[in-house]
Amino acid sequence: MATKVVDLRSDTVTKPSEAMRAAMAAADVDDDVLGADPTACRFEAEMARIMGKEAALFVPSGTMANLISVLAHCDARGSEVILGDDSHVHVYEHGGISTLGGVHPRTVPNNPDGTMDVDRIVAAIRSTDGALYYPTTRLICLENTHGNSGGKCLTVEYTDKVGEVAKAHGLKLHIDGARIFNASVALGVPVDRLVRAADSVSVCLSKGIGAPVGSVIVGSKAFIQKAKILRKTLGGGMRQVGVLCAAAEVGVRDTLGKLADDHRKAKVLADGLKKIKHFTVDLTSVETNMVFFDMADPRITPAKLCQALKQRSVLAMPTSSKSVRFVVHYQISDGDIQYALTCIEEAVEEILACDAKSERCSTNGTS
Amino acid sequence: MVTKVVDLRSDTVTKPSEAMRAAMAAAEVDDDVLGADPTAQRFEAEMARIMGKEAALFVPSGTMGNLVSVLAHCDTRGSEVILGDNSHIHIYENGGIATLGGVHPRTVPNNPDGTMDVDKIVAAIRHRDGAMYYPTTRLICLENTHGNTGGKCLSVEYTDKVGEVAQSHGLKLHIDGARIFNASVALGVPVHRLVRAADSVSVCLSKGLGAPVGSVIVGSKDFIYKAKILRKTLGGGMRQVGILCAAAYVAVRDTVGKLADDHTKAKVLADGLKKIKQFTVDLTSVETNMVFFDIADPHITPDKLCQVLEQRNVLAMPASSKSVRLVTHYQISDSDVQYTLTCIEKAVEEILSGNAKFERLTNGTTTNSYGH
Repeated sequence: MATKVVDLRSDTVTKPSEAMRAAMAAADVDDDVLGADPTACRFEAEMARIMGKEAALFVPSGTMANLISVLAHCDARGSEVILGDDSHVHVYEHGGISTLGGVHPRTVPNNPDGTMDVDRIVAAIRSTDGALYYPTTRLICLENTHGNSGGKCLTVEYTDKVGEVAKAHGLKLHIDGARIFNASVALGVPVDRLVRAADSVSVCLSKGIGAPVGSVIVGSKAFIQKAKILRKTLGGGMRQVGVLCAAAEVGVRDTLGKLADDHRKAKVLADGLKKIKHFTVDLTSVETNMVFFDMADPRITPAKLCQALKQRSVLAMPTSSKSVRFVVHYQISDGDIQYALTCIEEAVEEILACDAKSERCSTNGTS
Repeated sequence: MVTKVVDLRSDTVTKPSEAMRAAMAAAEVDDDVLGADPTAQRFEAEMARIMGKEAALFVPSGTMGNLVSVLAHCDTRGSEVILGDNSHIHIYENGGIATLGGVHPRTVPNNPDGTMDVDKIVAAIRHRDGAMYYPTTRLICLENTHGNTGGKCLSVEYTDKVGEVAQSHGLKLHIDGARIFNASVALGVPVHRLVRAADSVSVCLSKGLGAPVGSVIVGSKDFIYKAKILRKTLGGGMRQVGILCAAAYVAVRDTVGKLADDHTKAKVLADGLKKIKQFTVDLTSVETNMVFFDIADPHITPDKLCQVLEQRNVLAMPASSKSVRLVTHYQISDSDVQYTLTCIEKAVEEILSGNAKFERLTNGTTTNSYGH
């Protein structure tokens, strides 16, 4: 008998719903490279409308969405982009903007709330006087919600302020909005208002929204035209791609309304974790669907905890030598949350008991 | 009433079959980036087996298949790749190997049969003595079937010969095998034998095989490991990708056996075109599923012909200022072929009699050939 696995490693693990599967099977498709796939067209138009931009482009992944956006904004040799030192683009995308795109990154420290200080952003903008030594700053990137700081929301006021800075200096603003809908829901700000200051946004469909594959980039018509060519160059030009867009369309229709629940479940999880004295949890820092917590007790390591949980069919992700991350999504039920908390308590007892006996606990290498 | 469109622009226009749609809907999936999608794994293992290589990797497109392969083989700064001056990678892939990958291309002329002269390939290999001036040759690329020369097959003898050259000079060999199954069928050579000399092959699933999306790269385990990281870097790491692999699996199972029929239909088309005196067709050059024909009459241009055909719901692709390309696939029936020939005859009459009305091509094809 298969036990249900409670997968809290990421919201990327969401599997396509029955409605998505039916939509994929029935999708009206055509060759999106030679001409235009009708389902892709419809979906892209709808996403542009929702995000308040002129046009949109479906791409296989968030990594490609960000890569295309940076390369499209920075298409002159010798370009530099300002972004957070703890941003997904800088840390988890293989440095592709540089290794493939020849764009130089200039990082600014990310604060615990996901922002970068505005004065530090301004200070990082290269003066044109130094053109003999300096690359040319062309772009600022924000990330909303900000993943590594715990799924934190950047406010519309902050976003607008950075937008003003960009404009005043002749720069573009791109938002890595992989989880922008989570931010919109948590802040109570319509998503088009939230990203109004941005020239482009990348939005993931395969995370909390639950589609099997893909992201979408939104921006001006001229930007999306450039993006389309870059997408083809990178190898993201897919043929009858409407099969994927059909599922994404269902995701946007059916799952956006469930994000608030994910945030509630994350808070329940955090509350439960707070009661365990071996952990440190900052409840105020749980803004959306992510919970980060630290091990306060040196006998318990993230690796040991995740292994013990795995044996109980609960999956989590160690995020540093001292912390673990849980990510909640709509395929995690309230019952799953309670089950996870029970397992965590059991796992802690097991690890401490193991330690007390000075026995070697079984290790099978989670990192 | 919707009239059926006979789409001969490319074999990429194939739409997913009912069996593919059912397979996509039922596919067992998981996060292929965080872990491994079971359907993707199963499909990749099967493709590796079919192609006679150690491992395989599913990618969103043939362009990515080739780009990943070139970048994986040429991962040191200052690399050069030898390829045909009329190859798909060189002409139709946005120069990505250079603009994104920093790899320098060295072209060798493609012959009308799709090959490059072996002695010219050897002559193009950079000498180590010139290292202060020369990039380092690391890779040779072949294309089989060769698109721009008419879907021509590179024989297994030729492929092996180029493989020997590569091996003796310490180079790798990559085959852009977008239509490798067409070559295998036309030559009567098992596909794994055909590509045995190659270190890597890219194979399209979305062309004649009919899957909605994707290609697969095959090669050694080490190569595929590198390829996987490059795929992610380029942004091709898809999550529950088993959806697409399920359809591709059906394509390989159901459509490889129909490719010979596509070749027959292409020959029937070519025979019919030969009878039209305004055209020049070389029947011996129709080896697989493509027919290129030249327009001998200056009153008829490829654009005009394609526009008039479009009015009759037949879609074709201008291939140059004087030629047109037709590509058959399994969703083109024998009667579609006859209908096409009838339409072409009528279109020619119409254009020559001055009665044709020309509208801008609406099917997304322009006067430039895309080489799909």
